[in-house]
Amino acid sequence: MVGIGVLLYASIDWSTIVDLSNDPGKVRLHTDDKDTVKRFERAVVFTVYFFVPVILLLLSGLGFVLLRRRGWMLASIAQALTMLACLFFYGVSRPWFVYPIIAYSILLILLLNSRSVRAVVHRRRLTPSEARTEIASGE
Amino acid sequence: MANEEGIDARTAEELLRRFEPVIRFTRGEWFYPVDCEPYVDACSLWVKRPDEDAVCVVPAGELTLERLAQQPEDTTGAVHYLKIPDPKRDENLGRRARRRAQRSHTDPDWPKQTFHAGRGRLARVGYISRLAAALFSLVLLARGRVPGGDVEGGRVLYGRYMEEGERFTYHGNVVRQDGWIVLRYWLFYAFNDWRSNYFGANDHEADWEKIFIYLSESEDGEVRPEWVAYAAHEEAGDDLRRRWDDPELEKVGEHPVAYVCVGSHATRFFRGEYLTELAFPLPRAISAVRRILRRFWYVTLRQYADEDYREKPYEQFTIPFVDYGRGDGLSVGPGQDREWDPPRMMTPVPDWISDYRGLWGLYTQDPFEGEDSPAGPMYNRDKTISREWFDPVGWAGLDKVPTRAEELEVITARRAEIEDRQESLRSELREKSDRLRELGMDAEATRDRSHLSKLHEKGTRDITELSTEVETLREQLSNDEVLARSLEEHAASLKKGERPPAHAHIMHAARPVSEAETHAGRVAQLWASVSIALVLVTLILIIAYERSHLLGALVFAIAVFAFIEASFRRRLTRFIVSVNVALAIVGTLVLLEHFFWSVIVLAVLVVGLYILWENLRELGS
Repeated sequence: MVGIGVLLYASIDWSTIVDLSNDPGKVRLHTDDKDTVKRFERAVVFTVYFFVPVILLLLSGLGFVLLRRRGWMLASIAQALTMLACLFFYGVSRPWFVYPIIAYSILLILLLNSRSVRAVVHRRRLTPSEARTEIASGE
Repeated sequence: MANEEGIDARTAEELLRRFEPVIRFTRGEWFYPVDCEPYVDACSLWVKRPDEDAVCVVPAGELTLERLAQQPEDTTGAVHYLKIPDPKRDENLGRRARRRAQRSHTDPDWPKQTFHAGRGRLARVGYISRLAAALFSLVLLARGRVPGGDVEGGRVLYGRYMEEGERFTYHGNVVRQDGWIVLRYWLFYAFNDWRSNYFGANDHEADWEKIFIYLSESEDGEVRPEWVAYAAHEEAGDDLRRRWDDPELEKVGEHPVAYVCVGSHATRFFRGEYLTELAFPLPRAISAVRRILRRFWYVTLRQYADEDYREKPYEQFTIPFVDYGRGDGLSVGPGQDREWDPPRMMTPVPDWISDYRGLWGLYTQDPFEGEDSPAGPMYNRDKTISREWFDPVGWAGLDKVPTRAEELEVITARRAEIEDRQESLRSELREKSDRLRELGMDAEATRDRSHLSKLHEKGTRDITELSTEVETLREQLSNDEVLARSLEEHAASLKKGERPPAHAHIMHAARPVSEAETHAGRVAQLWASVSIALVLVTLILIIAYERSHLLGALVFAIAVFAFIEASFRRRLTRFIVSVNVALAIVGTLVLLEHFFWSVIVLAVLVVGLYILWENLRELGS
């Protein structure tokens, strides 16, 4: 996702963008090229939507090393957010990059919920309530 | 088949009294085990013939157990049933019984106290179950059901009986079957008010429950209790019974302790609250699709399951209810709050048991039968003989278990049988091996001789057949040897007094829900109570005011409700997994929609490459 972000920013023709701000502490960008505006907007929206999942994924990586259960939870939440962002993009403009991210997210969701991974991160605790409930139909 | 051979009424009563159970009720119980005679005396007898209105054949006050046994006006398709008298018809008695009931709240000597469902009853089940439970209640209006006034009638009838003196009675019967002596304690309750008063699944007039104790008898006539089985709803099989030396089986001296659930009178081994499910089979097509999806998800994709994945023979839809077996109320039995009165003996079997095949209370014609009263101890509702009557040993899954006194005898007999079979197998094997060798020589002698080719082909076929037979015989012989050795080892361990684990026979133990689940927080309970109404109101508001973003708003609202629910029920992990799975499914559909042909081409390419790889690997090896 970071790679896609870099690619999106790299595809912007920065030479057509000028800084109109006179104040050294502020940036005010302007361009007349509509294609550049579109690319710039897309890159910014991508950053807004995928920034949190990327940070969460980095934290989950750390979590897996330190505290497995938390890491798994963070990774799952990150995947949910990533998928939601992709589906939003898909509904609005169907950009090319949503498809590989969706495919990657599906695989990761299946991996995170696979028996081998869950067995490591969620050691099953059998409580009495996990025993079978009764089947009643009369008396 | 169970029989009463060698057991007279006196011996039967002595055995019943020696091992009679201690029963612990839940605070708030209205109906305790009583003698069925006063109940029958107070009821009227009705008969319902197909396509006709029910008619009263014996009015209240004239019915007796003897009259009941005659089952008057019996015809094809007729259903006989008893009916509790309407309390309004006898105002004096009704008022007196009501006064008694009111007094019970303040009288410390009287066990009835107000029942509290406690926090978390609704919080224990999810939205779908809550909605299904609400629909189930609505469906009751269309189904046959016990009218609300009948509960009052049952209370008045029972109150009248207790007014004459508190009595706690069971019905006893002792039989022999397959080496076992079975003590059968039949508990009769005037009413099952589980639905009306304890948020349960059903109500019905009259309730027959049972506790069976299985004794073995030594050569000198000493009896020893070995197993005990408690009835819960309509279950049968191994899970119902516990071994007498099971450390989990609570006993007071020689008396097993049972916890009776309030209203339903289901009998349990442990005190607590049980999540009981009413099961309805799903339509075959839906069931098949669900089974395929489950297999794909858990087996093919190797996805995680909370319980070990098991292929279910049939899929079913369940509505959960809570069975309260808290054991904090009255305790009846030897040395308890109340002692048992002398039992009503059913040895020899009285006519009112064997000859009355009708129901013991109102016949509501409920298609699910839950609201219909039960038949007596001997019969099912459809008038067939009940398994617990003719096969009490098989009912609790003991038909495969010999008594302790017979165990070594059974092993010795089995080993003798195996040895005989091994002898005959060895002889047959010798004979066939010799024949196989002869055929082998024939085949060798006829090979590559054109004029003997047919003979050679036939010989080869015979060799193949005989080889298979010899292989099967050798396998049988080998299995028998292993089995004989195992039996020998098992006999040795039994001689040393060792026993297999007490829970080895239990597949699914019925256990109460955990303390944590029982005590959900106040907010969780409040949420559980209002959530269904809130969901419905939200849906209506979305449909009314957000039609332009209907799908998005619905998804968002459902997600928010599901998140709150999951938080209260401490199931956030499951919630996140469910959300991810749902998103993955939508994502898959998106990919399929966009890359359908590419996916097909890629799949074919992958299969082609795999086949190529396999073939090349074979060439290289």
